[in-house]
Amino acid sequence: MTQDVRDLLHAATGLYRDDPRASAVLLDCLNRLEQPLRVAFTGAPSSGKTTLAAALGEWPTRALRDLVLLDDPGPADDVPDATVRLVRHLEPDELAAAHPPGGSAFARQSAVNSVLVLSRADEVGAGRIDALLTAKQLARRAWREDPLCTGFLGVIAVAGQLAYGGRSLRDDEFDLLAAFAAVPREELERHVLSVDSFTDPAFPGPIPVETRRSLVVRFGMFGVRLALTLIRTGCDDRVKLSAELVRRSGLGELRDTLAGCFVARAEALRARTAIIRLEALLAAHPRPGGDRLVSRVERFAAAAHDFRELRLIADIRGGRTALSGEPAEEAVRLLGAQGTAPADRLGLEPDADPNEIYDAGLDALRRWRHEAERPDRPHAERTAAHVVVRSAEGLLALFG
Amino acid sequence: MTAPAWLEVLNETLDACRTHGRADLAERLRRRRDAPPGQIRLGVLGFPKQGKGYLLNAVLNAPVCAVGDAATPAVPTEIAYSPEPAATLVGRSRERIPVAVERLTGELGARPAGTLSRVEVGVPRELLSAGLVLVDTPPVGDPRSPRTAAALDLLAEADAVILVSDATAPLSAAELALARHVRTWCPHVVLALTKIDASPGWRAVAERNRAMLAEAGIDAPVLPVSAVVRQAAAKTGDAELNARSGFPELLAWIAEQAARPPEQSRALLAAVGVRAAAAELVESLRDRIDTVAQDAGLGQAALLQRAQRRADDLRRQNTRWQNLLSDEITDLLSDAEYDLRERTRKIVTTIDRTFDEGDPAKVWDDFAPWLDNALAEAVDVNYTWLADRAEWIAQAVAACFGAQYDRALPDLRLDGSGVEHLDDVGRPKIEKFKIGQQAFTGLRGSYGGVLMFGLVTSLAGLPLINPVSIGAGAAFAAKTIKDEGGMRLQRRQAVAKQAAQRHVDDVFLKFSKECRDAVRVVQRRLRDHFTGLAEELADELTRERETILAGTAERERRTGHIRREIDRLAALHQRAGELGTIAGRQQRRELSA
Repeated sequence: MTQDVRDLLHAATGLYRDDPRASAVLLDCLNRLEQPLRVAFTGAPSSGKTTLAAALGEWPTRALRDLVLLDDPGPADDVPDATVRLVRHLEPDELAAAHPPGGSAFARQSAVNSVLVLSRADEVGAGRIDALLTAKQLARRAWREDPLCTGFLGVIAVAGQLAYGGRSLRDDEFDLLAAFAAVPREELERHVLSVDSFTDPAFPGPIPVETRRSLVVRFGMFGVRLALTLIRTGCDDRVKLSAELVRRSGLGELRDTLAGCFVARAEALRARTAIIRLEALLAAHPRPGGDRLVSRVERFAAAAHDFRELRLIADIRGGRTALSGEPAEEAVRLLGAQGTAPADRLGLEPDADPNEIYDAGLDALRRWRHEAERPDRPHAERTAAHVVVRSAEGLLALFG
Repeated sequence: MTAPAWLEVLNETLDACRTHGRADLAERLRRRRDAPPGQIRLGVLGFPKQGKGYLLNAVLNAPVCAVGDAATPAVPTEIAYSPEPAATLVGRSRERIPVAVERLTGELGARPAGTLSRVEVGVPRELLSAGLVLVDTPPVGDPRSPRTAAALDLLAEADAVILVSDATAPLSAAELALARHVRTWCPHVVLALTKIDASPGWRAVAERNRAMLAEAGIDAPVLPVSAVVRQAAAKTGDAELNARSGFPELLAWIAEQAARPPEQSRALLAAVGVRAAAAELVESLRDRIDTVAQDAGLGQAALLQRAQRRADDLRRQNTRWQNLLSDEITDLLSDAEYDLRERTRKIVTTIDRTFDEGDPAKVWDDFAPWLDNALAEAVDVNYTWLADRAEWIAQAVAACFGAQYDRALPDLRLDGSGVEHLDDVGRPKIEKFKIGQQAFTGLRGSYGGVLMFGLVTSLAGLPLINPVSIGAGAAFAAKTIKDEGGMRLQRRQAVAKQAAQRHVDDVFLKFSKECRDAVRVVQRRLRDHFTGLAEELADELTRERETILAGTAERERRTGHIRREIDRLAALHQRAGELGTIAGRQQRRELSA
C-alpha cells in the first residue's frame, strides 16, 4: 500500500515540479510515510488533553513506541494521522461538536482514525467512589447506542488526572497518603469530604496545609479518596498503589485501543493522510494532466481494503452489526483486530506451519463465503461477510 | 377597582408583539399577565452536567430530581408543597398520571419522548409551604433543540431564577449569554456555583464569574455551594458542615424571594417582561429595517447615481455617434466619387492612347470588349469598396455605444452594383477607304497631273498625252490616294475616341448617381438603427429610474411605519421602566428608536 502511495506522490511531484509550495507539501507527504504515526489530542479547553497526553506519553512501552503524540495541534500546521478526541460529558451538544469533520468521499469512507475519550471520568456521579465504573458503563453504552458515537473506533472513559498522578506517584506522596489512611476512617471522613475540609487548618496531624493542597491539586479530591481506600484495602506500597490507580483510570484500555487501532494500522493510516493531502492539493491547484492522477487516486481509494476492515471491526465491537458471540470474535480476528499477520488473523501460534495456516485460511474463506452468499440474511450482514471474505482472500494471496 | 397601570402597558406591548409576528413574545407576556396569584415560581436553569439535580435535592434534603448518569428528563419538574410526598406526570393533553415518588425516575425513563408536558412533585417541606414552587428544567444546550426551548419557556412565569454552573471552569460564553437572557426577563437571578467540594480552584472561579457578570452588566450574586457537603451535614446533623456547604446562604436567598409582597412583585415582573419583550421586538424590527436598507436602500443612492451617470453617458453618446455618422457618410460620398473618377480617368487615358495610334477600323473589335470589361471592373471594385466602408462605419458608430451595444449590426447589404445592367459600348460609324473610292480618287489625281504636265509638254510640241504627262498623272494619282487615306484615318480616330469617351462619361454619370443613392441608403439605415437603439436605452433608463424612485417611496413608507412602531415600543419600554421603579427597582438603560 505504501508503495502505491509513494508512486502516486512521485507522479504528482512531476506534475507540480514548477510549484515550490506544492512540491514542499508532496515532499513532506513522502517523508511522513517513513515517520512515526502522528496522533493528535483534541478537545475543548480544560478537557484534559495535556494531562492525558502526558500520562500516555511517559509510558515507555513497545506498543506505543511508534507514535508521536501532538497536544491539540492547530488546524493547519500539522496534519495528524489519527485523533484522540476528548469530551467532558457524553452530552449531545458536546458529541455533535466532537464529530470528525467530513472532507472528501475517501476521507469519510476511511474515517477510521479517531477514538473518543470521556476524559475526567472521575467527575462522573459527583465524585462518588464508583465514579470510574459508572463512567465506563456510560462510555460503553454510548458507543453501542448513541448514533453520534458511530464514527469512532472506540469510546473510552479515562480519568486523566488520576492516570497521570498514578504514573508519577512519588514516595513522599505515598507516605503522606499512607499516613492519612492510618487515621481511623470515621475520624477522617469529614476531612476528605471536600477540598476545603482537606486543606482546613483543623485537619488532624502535623502535615502542613500547603502539602495537603498540593496533594489534592495533583490527584483531585476523588483521587485522594480513592488512594486512601486502596491503601486501606491492600495497596500497601507505592508500586502497587501506582499500578492500581493507573489500572482504574482507564488508561490501559485507551493504550490498548491506540495500539490495536492506530499502531497496528500505522501504514494504512499514514497512507490515508498522504492520499487526503494529495486529493486536497489536486483539487486546490488543478493542472492539465491532473485528471489522470485524480482517477488513479480514486482507484486507490476504492481498492483500499484496510479501511473497510477497520470500519467493520469498529462496527462489530460497537455492536452495530448482527454478528455477536463466537462468529463476531472470529470476524474481528480475521479482519486483523489482533494483528494483521496471517497467523494472528487465524488465531494460530506465530510459528505455525505454513501448510496449517493455508488450510485454516481456506477453511475460513469457505465458511465466510457461504455466509456472504446466504440469501436469507439481510443485505448489511452479507456485505459485512463480504469484507471478511476479502480479508481471507488477501491472507491466502500471500501464499500465491 | 381599576386595572393596575402595568396591565395596560403589558396589554399594549402584547398587541404589538402579536402584530409584528412575534407570537412567542406575546405568549410569554400573556402567561405573565394570567399567572395565578399566590404562587412564587423559582426556576433552576443551567447547561448539562452542572449539578442542577444535586442542587435541588440538597435544597429539599430529598432525592426528588434525577441525578448523575440517569437520563435527564426532557420536561420541567415542578416541586411544590404537599403534606404527603406525591408525584404526578402531566401528559401532552393535560392528563394526569399519579406515580409513587420513589418510582418517579424509572417512570420518567419508561415514557417515550414527547408524551409528557411536565412533572409535578409534592414534598412536605416548610420552605415550600408559603406557595413557593421550585421548577427543575431540562438542561440548556443547542439553541435550536426542543430541550432548550422547554427550559427557556420557564422564563414566562418564573419570579426568580437560580442559574447553575459548576466550579470546574469559569462561565463559558454560552453560559454568560444565558445569564444575560435570563436577567433580561427575570429581575431576581442568582448564580449557584456547584461542586466546590471537588474543585481546588473554586475561589478563583467564583471571583472570575463575579467579574464577568459585573462586566456584562448582569446583576446577580454568586453563591458557591456543595451538595456533597450538604448531604454529609444532613446525615450527621452537623450544623458547621452545613454552613460550609454554602446552602444556608442559598436558602436565605430563596426565602427572600418567597417573602416578597405579591402585588409589588407582579408589577415588577410585568414591567421587566414588557421591557424584555419591547427590547426584543425593537431589535427584530431594527433588523428588518436593516435588511430593507441592505436590500436596496444602501445601494439606493448608488443606484440613482449610476442611473444618472448612465443618462449623461447616453447624452454624450448620442452627440458622438450622430456626428460620427454624418462625418463618415460625407467622407464616404466624396471618396467614392473620387475613386470612381480616378478609375474612369485611367480608362479614358488608355482610350486616347489607343486611338492616337491605332486605326479604329482595325482595332475596334478588340477594343470594345476591353472597354466593357474595364468599366465593369472599375464599377465593381468601387462598389465593393463602398460596401466595406459602410460596414466599417456601422462598426465605428456601434463602438460609440460601448458595452451597451449588445445586438447585431444592421443589414447593410446593398442591391448589387448594377454591373450587369451596364450598356455595351456602341460601335461608332467608321468609314473605310474602299477600292472604288481609291480608284476614283486616283483618277481624279491622275487627271490633274496628265493635264498639268500635258499642257507644259504641249508647249514643247509634244501631244497632250505623252509619256511624261502619263508618268506625272500616275505620280499625282498615287499622292492623292495617299493624302485622302490619311485624312480619312484621322477622322475615324476622332469618331472612335469621341464615341468611347462618351460611353465612359455615361457610365460614370449613371453609376455615380447609383453610388450616391447607395450611400444615402446606408446612412438612412444606420441612422434609423442607432436612433432606435438610443431611444431604447433612454426608455430603459427612464423605467429604471422610475423603479428606483418608486422603490424608495415604498421603502420609506415601510421603514417609516417600522420607525413609528419602534418609537411606540420605546415609549412602552420607558413607561414599563417607570412602573418598575415604582415597584421598587431602579431600571437603567432606556431604548430609543
